[in-house]
Amino acid sequence: MSEKTDKAGGNGKLKIGMYWAASCGGCDISLLEIGPHILELIEVADVVLWPCAADFKYQDVVNYPDQFIDVCFFNGGVRNSEQEEIARLLRRKSKTLIAYGACATDGGIPALANTKTVEGIFAASYHDCPSLDNPAHVEPQPITQSEYGELEIPRFYPQVLRLSDVVEVDYQIPGCPPQAERVWEAILALVGGQLPARNSAVKVACFDKSVCDECPREKRKVKIKEFKRPHEAMAEAEWCLLEQGFICMGPATRSGCGALCVKANLPCRGCYGPSGEVQDQGAAMIGALGSILDASTEERAREMIDHIVDPVGTFYRFTMASSDLKGRR
Amino acid sequence: MAEAHVVQQGVTPAAVGWEPRIIAFLCYWCSYTGADAAGTARLKYPPNVDIIRVMCSGRIDPELITTAFAHGADGVMVCGCHIGDCHYISGNHKTMARMPLLKRTLVDLGIEPDRFVHEWVSAAEGEKFARLVREVTERVRRLGPLGWPQRMRERGVGCGMSLEPWGA
Amino acid sequence: MVETPGSCSGSGNERENGARIGVFICHCGGNISDVVDVKRVADEIGKLPGVVFSTTQMFVCSDPGQGLIEQKIKELGLNRVIVAACSPTLHQLTFRRTVARAGLNQFLFEHVNVREQVSWVTEDAEAATQKATRLIRAAVDRVKHLTPLDKRRIPIHPAALVIGGGIAGLVTARDLAQRGMKVTLVEKQPFLGGRVAQLHTLFPTGEDARDALKRVIEEVVSHELVNVITSAQILDSEGVVGDFRTRIRIEPRGANSQLRQRASAVAACPEQTINEFDYGLSQRKAIYMAYPGCYPPIPAIDWNVCTKCGKCVWAVGGRGINLAEQPREMVLHSGIIVLATGFDPYEPLYGEYGYGIFPRVITLQQLIRLLDPLGPTGGRLPRNDGEPTRIAFIHCVGARQIEGVNQRQPDGRVKDYCARTCCTGALHAALEIRRRHADVMITDFYQDIRTYGRGHEAYYEQASEAGILFVRYDPRHPPRVEGNPKGDSPLLVRTSDLLTGGLDVEMPADLVVLATGVVPHDISELVGMYHCAVGSDSFLLEVHPKLRPVELAVAGVFLAGSCQGPMDVTEACAAASAAASKAAALIAQAQVEMDPFIARVDEELCTGCQTCLTVCAYDAITRDETRGIAVVSEARCTGCGTCAATCPSNAIQQFGFNDAQVLAEVKALLQGAALG
Repeated sequence: MSEKTDKAGGNGKLKIGMYWAASCGGCDISLLEIGPHILELIEVADVVLWPCAADFKYQDVVNYPDQFIDVCFFNGGVRNSEQEEIARLLRRKSKTLIAYGACATDGGIPALANTKTVEGIFAASYHDCPSLDNPAHVEPQPITQSEYGELEIPRFYPQVLRLSDVVEVDYQIPGCPPQAERVWEAILALVGGQLPARNSAVKVACFDKSVCDECPREKRKVKIKEFKRPHEAMAEAEWCLLEQGFICMGPATRSGCGALCVKANLPCRGCYGPSGEVQDQGAAMIGALGSILDASTEERAREMIDHIVDPVGTFYRFTMASSDLKGRR
Repeated sequence: MAEAHVVQQGVTPAAVGWEPRIIAFLCYWCSYTGADAAGTARLKYPPNVDIIRVMCSGRIDPELITTAFAHGADGVMVCGCHIGDCHYISGNHKTMARMPLLKRTLVDLGIEPDRFVHEWVSAAEGEKFARLVREVTERVRRLGPLGWPQRMRERGVGCGMSLEPWGA
Repeated sequence: MVETPGSCSGSGNERENGARIGVFICHCGGNISDVVDVKRVADEIGKLPGVVFSTTQMFVCSDPGQGLIEQKIKELGLNRVIVAACSPTLHQLTFRRTVARAGLNQFLFEHVNVREQVSWVTEDAEAATQKATRLIRAAVDRVKHLTPLDKRRIPIHPAALVIGGGIAGLVTARDLAQRGMKVTLVEKQPFLGGRVAQLHTLFPTGEDARDALKRVIEEVVSHELVNVITSAQILDSEGVVGDFRTRIRIEPRGANSQLRQRASAVAACPEQTINEFDYGLSQRKAIYMAYPGCYPPIPAIDWNVCTKCGKCVWAVGGRGINLAEQPREMVLHSGIIVLATGFDPYEPLYGEYGYGIFPRVITLQQLIRLLDPLGPTGGRLPRNDGEPTRIAFIHCVGARQIEGVNQRQPDGRVKDYCARTCCTGALHAALEIRRRHADVMITDFYQDIRTYGRGHEAYYEQASEAGILFVRYDPRHPPRVEGNPKGDSPLLVRTSDLLTGGLDVEMPADLVVLATGVVPHDISELVGMYHCAVGSDSFLLEVHPKLRPVELAVAGVFLAGSCQGPMDVTEACAAASAAASKAAALIAQAQVEMDPFIARVDEELCTGCQTCLTVCAYDAITRDETRGIAVVSEARCTGCGTCAATCPSNAIQQFGFNDAQVLAEVKALLQGAALG
């Protein structure tokens, strides 16, 4: 990819880093999705940290002077102590720290774990899962004595946190993952010094409007007669999916993705997080959805609502950590 | 049972002298006037319910309610005109659908159903309003404090965990 | 940032740094201060950032109280004022005016309710004091987010449209014209008069109904400012208060004022149909005059029945009848609308008290037609062999019904309201019969006698003195009307009489008269067009039954008469005059002022997802196709805030109740709760 630069100043190129915390790896791949633009990128930038793609050690980062990294993309949420430690380390070592992808900006899918307890998560992962073979009921421990000495592993936190819950963030790039076109535009803006003033509330590599803006389907301005899950009915082409009864998070989701899912006939799941200045994406969607039900009595409204299998998972799929309530009690 | 649950989550049980804090969103034309009617009749009810007025229950955004719980409300009430009597024709129809949907979500997030109450109160129903306040206050009192901000602080929201050991 | 609608004066968005808040807490002569320690509250509030003045007053609403507010605004440069006192429903307007007099925008004022909702309802003084403090502290945070607003001012086109040519519509039109307003009165039927024309005499004066009607009609049609249009159907209406454009279609009358030989024209017509004027008791021709003395005094042709045979034309030598007349459309421009669409009598269900099964079971309305000397029988109560000698009246038919006891209506509900006028109406008719036929036995089967009006109780007394029998029935066990196989009278009314401890009564009857309730005349299209609120009893719903009884929530639309609820002619005339008065006042102002709490779409944030377009009950939100965003009509918006809560992008905010303001209240109320 590029040479390791461990000297301050270096060769005049931008020093960029990409780190993954509680993440699936998709965001790292999404950076590669910029395709041939990669070649343009390496003309102007050197990678100084990218655990997914290159062999840098934490010690290298520790050895960097403060603010050495010009731009650090941090994807994934903070689920354990290592991720928090590195987040703080990278904040020190970076001029610009960008929360990259839904997990870092809003908690993403991992933040749905905030609706479970640590005990519950461990039980599912290490004890109850049918494909496990763990007769001794071993669970990870922070410290284990072994023949090699004392082994320490990161501590598991009771909550998945956003990057901004832990350190000050300069920009946010939403999306699961952020779409390549938008990412390249952001990189260009970055390189050209044209990003807006630093403000962790500012989302870049996206638009301010909601997915409806990019969606090619037409609205007929009718109320919803009943809810349907995607496997329960064939969606009519060209007509708004939400109006047909498929719960599409489009109206409450920031645009920039090009409405990819909808164009593939699946309702939007909300991965770009809330649009505009909305804080709680789920509440925004519930307010909108409840307003357009074709129900003249409470009984009918409840009947329709009962058909929604998992409201939390539907309305807060990617944004549990940035919602007002942030998780289950 | 509530106690054990609370201890498990690391939140202290109800402090001595804890009083439920309940926010009520009332629509100006029916339920707010109904609450006034309770006052005119000098009916007495517990002081735990603070009223916020809006013009129509249709104004009540789910985000107002999630914010209330997130900022420490132990209970939230939403009142509006009876169906068919909305001053603005059908504002309460939207409330009628939004509230059950929100309630399901809140219940799935661990907020007991008795903490979030949605009722229609007309301008003449002072008695009903007073009774509602008494009932809701009692039920919330029995459930104990919700203490959401404290919980979140303990889980590192907004400040990180700063390397606290887990399992404690 | 929230802007102000229309022009605004005064400072812009003041945040904590710039806020200079004055707080005035009322003792209310002890009503508040007996429970709430107002001085302590004033001290606590005075410490809050932004509060530069905090005091208590014995009666803030008094002259000195208001004077203090004005004085302090000027002296201390207050830019926000809070009064904590009784309910805002009482004095919010008072204090807004106070504040405005001192030069501060009236919507930078906040009214906190610490009487009806604190001191009057809280036992413990300490708890009440804390609650008052909390509520005022919440107001302090809220006012920091308030911005100056101005009432919306909409110019009013100086003309009125009155829909409905019955007594209420006529009185409204007359009163408006007499005040110098231009009025257009439209009536769906070809003739004016409505239900009063179908009456015989009016209670309690006993005067002839049509004479009284004629006087009003004369005043109306002769007035130069009134334009009466009959046979008019409302097609659609656009616009808002001050500027309504209503499109009507005028059905062809078929005959015009050139027609002289009206009787000949009518006699020549071979087609007949049921005469709805006589409630089905007689027939009329396809070309007809509704009643003697009707207005316009020109026959009309019922095109549903007319076969265009031309016999009427031939009979009058071709003058005055045009069978080829076409409907016309026109647009009426008015500043206000008055709905005077009236009522229909309740039509008993088939079999209800034998109605429809026995021809001798009739409604009170039909009885009145029979009693009318100009009615279908010339005033006689017909029977195959002589006059009837036994008549039974049954009250509360289609009124005060009980779920589970009375049969449900087609809409699935029962008519549970009292129809008000039928008790007096029934007794009035009963006494009329008695006066004409001294030998007739009349029995009144009733639940309660509600002769509530001035001079009405006399009917009850007179009826008793005249020997009319009263049998009180249990509403849970209404009387049954059956055929009478034995005996002279064809019907039998059975019930148990509560007045004699439940004695079973079996009354033979030659005629059973059902005193029926009323339902509003079906105007579902108009309701949709004008966005009227309708009560659960299907009558139009006024803004406030006592304080604003003739206004609808939609500005510029007024109610007159029985479209609002059961009422007699006296009440309908009073309501009509009230509506005229309100409407005239509005027109006279030349502009209407409406509260500024409307919604506005932030163009930058709006995505054009169109979710809000379906939620507005007033059709106040439209889509701007060029910009692809939603736009709220300032004139149509009534300020409910439903769209603001709907918008999934939070692009719509409601002035006076925007998210920042309401959330500030929520957070301030919960301060300290998190530590509890």
